[in-house]
Amino acid sequence: MLQAENVLFTITMLLYFAAMILYFLFVVSKKDKLAAVASLVQAVGLVLHTGALICRGIGAGRLPLTNYYEFATGFAWGLSLVSLVFIRKYRFPMLGVFAAPLIFLIIGYAAMQNREVKDLMPALRSNWLGFHVSTVIVAYGSFGVSFVLGAVFLLRERMKDGSFWDKHIPSREKLDLLAYRSVSLGLLFLSFTIITGAIWAERAWGSYWSWDPKETWSLITWITYTMYLHFRVTRGWHGKQAAVFAVVGFICVMFTYIGVNTLLPGLHSYA
Amino acid sequence: MRFGMLLLGLVCVACVLGSALPQGKTLEWYLEHYSPRKAALIYGLNLSDVFHSTWFLILTAVLCCNLVLCTLLHLPGLLRRMRDAADSDAVAKARPVATLTGVTQPDQLFERLHMGRPKALEADGRQVRFASRNRLGLWGGTVCHLGILLLILGYVLGQTTKLEYTVYGLPGQTKPVGDTGYTLTIDDFQMGLQDSGTPDQFTSRVTIHNPSGSASERAEISVNHPGSLLGFSATQNSMGNAAKLTVLVHGELYQETVLCQGEYLQLANTPLAIFFDGYEADAPFDDGSVHDVYDYTIYDSSSGRSASDYQLEGEAAMTTSVYEIRFSEPQHYTLLQLKKDRFLWLAMLGALTVLVGLILALYLQPKQLRALEEPDGTWTLYAYSRKGGALFADQVKKQAADSRQSD
Ligand code: HEM
Repeated sequence: MLQAENVLFTITMLLYFAAMILYFLFVVSKKDKLAAVASLVQAVGLVLHTGALICRGIGAGRLPLTNYYEFATGFAWGLSLVSLVFIRKYRFPMLGVFAAPLIFLIIGYAAMQNREVKDLMPALRSNWLGFHVSTVIVAYGSFGVSFVLGAVFLLRERMKDGSFWDKHIPSREKLDLLAYRSVSLGLLFLSFTIITGAIWAERAWGSYWSWDPKETWSLITWITYTMYLHFRVTRGWHGKQAAVFAVVGFICVMFTYIGVNTLLPGLHSYA
Repeated sequence: MRFGMLLLGLVCVACVLGSALPQGKTLEWYLEHYSPRKAALIYGLNLSDVFHSTWFLILTAVLCCNLVLCTLLHLPGLLRRMRDAADSDAVAKARPVATLTGVTQPDQLFERLHMGRPKALEADGRQVRFASRNRLGLWGGTVCHLGILLLILGYVLGQTTKLEYTVYGLPGQTKPVGDTGYTLTIDDFQMGLQDSGTPDQFTSRVTIHNPSGSASERAEISVNHPGSLLGFSATQNSMGNAAKLTVLVHGELYQETVLCQGEYLQLANTPLAIFFDGYEADAPFDDGSVHDVYDYTIYDSSSGRSASDYQLEGEAAMTTSVYEIRFSEPQHYTLLQLKKDRFLWLAMLGALTVLVGLILALYLQPKQLRALEEPDGTWTLYAYSRKGGALFADQVKKQAADSRQSD
């Protein structure tokens, strides 16, 4: 099973790479068909990626989301899934142009991690951990998409009316709403993540909140996105300010994900 | 609101400081690791224990007051918006996100847009169809705020009133549960191993006795499976190594005891104390061999310093002209956490309320459709949405186009 996972993971990486190149060619050649093919390749990549995760889960006899490699590949999976949903639902293939490099970067980061399957410590053998980590990959994937949308929004200001970019990127108002939708999804899932993590910690260590750096940083991320919602709803912060906030929020996400593990040791340092 | 956001920003800053600066260390530690000025600042501002500092508590209290006030002040406006959202005339005063003319079958469009069956009304002698959906979503923010307040209240009350004790020991031992008068007997402790040698599960069987001895309760507790013991919630926090220490003086048995890792034995009538630092089974050595190793340190209080760190291999003894020190019978001790938090349910309720509030606010977006009959018999459709603007407009246009096609 683990060998199958290896093969599927490698093909997935190649497909994501191919999707990235196809999206690039779409921009260069301005042929819409290429964008459709790129999305299709990314979708096939996602199916195989799912297969790889399932194989690893079966091979390891547990949920494949417990170490650096597994979490990174899960993050790439979440980002790929949420970006595809947005591409399809909102008919916005150009999103792939910006999301594909990020997906490839994260899966590339995963590939550089140690892929050995190790037995889990007793504390990590919990169903709550399963909920905790599955929800966080969707949350991070959604925040990744909101980051891309925020960045596209900021870039859109420089695009000339009637240009290729202008035609393929939704209006600023719609972009702003899409970013809001992805932040909403991310925030909801991040809330689930924090709550299931707290329940798990209560059952494993008898303390649902211990201000461990990872917990603290997920709270910072959560508050940052909450502030984003408030500024939108009460101060009418649509558009540029909201886009900047979506980008800043994702920097918090990345710090929570990588910075905390490498710079601030704590309970989660094994994860 | 602006002040509320400033407070939330300050909470974030406090969190950054609390996670970046090592917490709970002594002044000496900070002096060792930072310049004297920085160390004084960290200690003086309580940055050594941010989350329990007075200023952080005050910040949280001010945030709560602000949240209560803000929510209450917005309540009349919210009730008005609730009323207005169901009132066709009030809705008509807002700016529509989409306007469609020449609609022939408005009822069908309402249905296609999942707006349900519209109300048939009349305005200025003209026929009106009106539907309002997701008004409940307007309550999302308020429900969320209520959840946050319950969560903070549950957490703070829990922190200030909870009883929390760590009890560790070996099977057969009975240990006090802090100063409560309760005692805990460790009936058994098992550690399962996986094929790789990684621990699989730690399981303790324990019995708790109340101070008068009139009540007792048994429970099996393992990692991720806490148990209940006369009102305490008990978790299997961790385990450690223990070993029997035997000290001979001039070949005669002088003292013998079992030490858990981190415990020490004060040798009677001597300035010497032996600290048990740990035990490692099958420790690899430079020459490629593996041995069981006991680590310990001897402290000499007459000289005020540690005499030395020692390692003993297997059952070997450390022998001087007077003493013979030997460790044997390695075993595991269990470490349990016993806790009574009477406000855990409140924090949980708060967390659930926040979730409900978020779902209401983010996924029940209030929207209204209003169709007005024109003199030529067609209808003009107006779509309203406070938060979903462009996306709702797209949806309306798409459904209108689809229904025209199917006509
Ligand atoms: C961490 C704490 C907080 C959370 C999780 C939170 C959550 C929310 C949510 C989800 C909304 C609805 C947003 C929307 O409809 O898109 C909201 C609205 C709002 N919040 Fe908060 N909030 C928090 C703190 C605060 C604070 C400190 C204030 C200021 C006093 C505040 C004032 C408001 C106001 C005025 C609204 C608009 C309500 C309305 O639609 O009438 N919130 N909040």
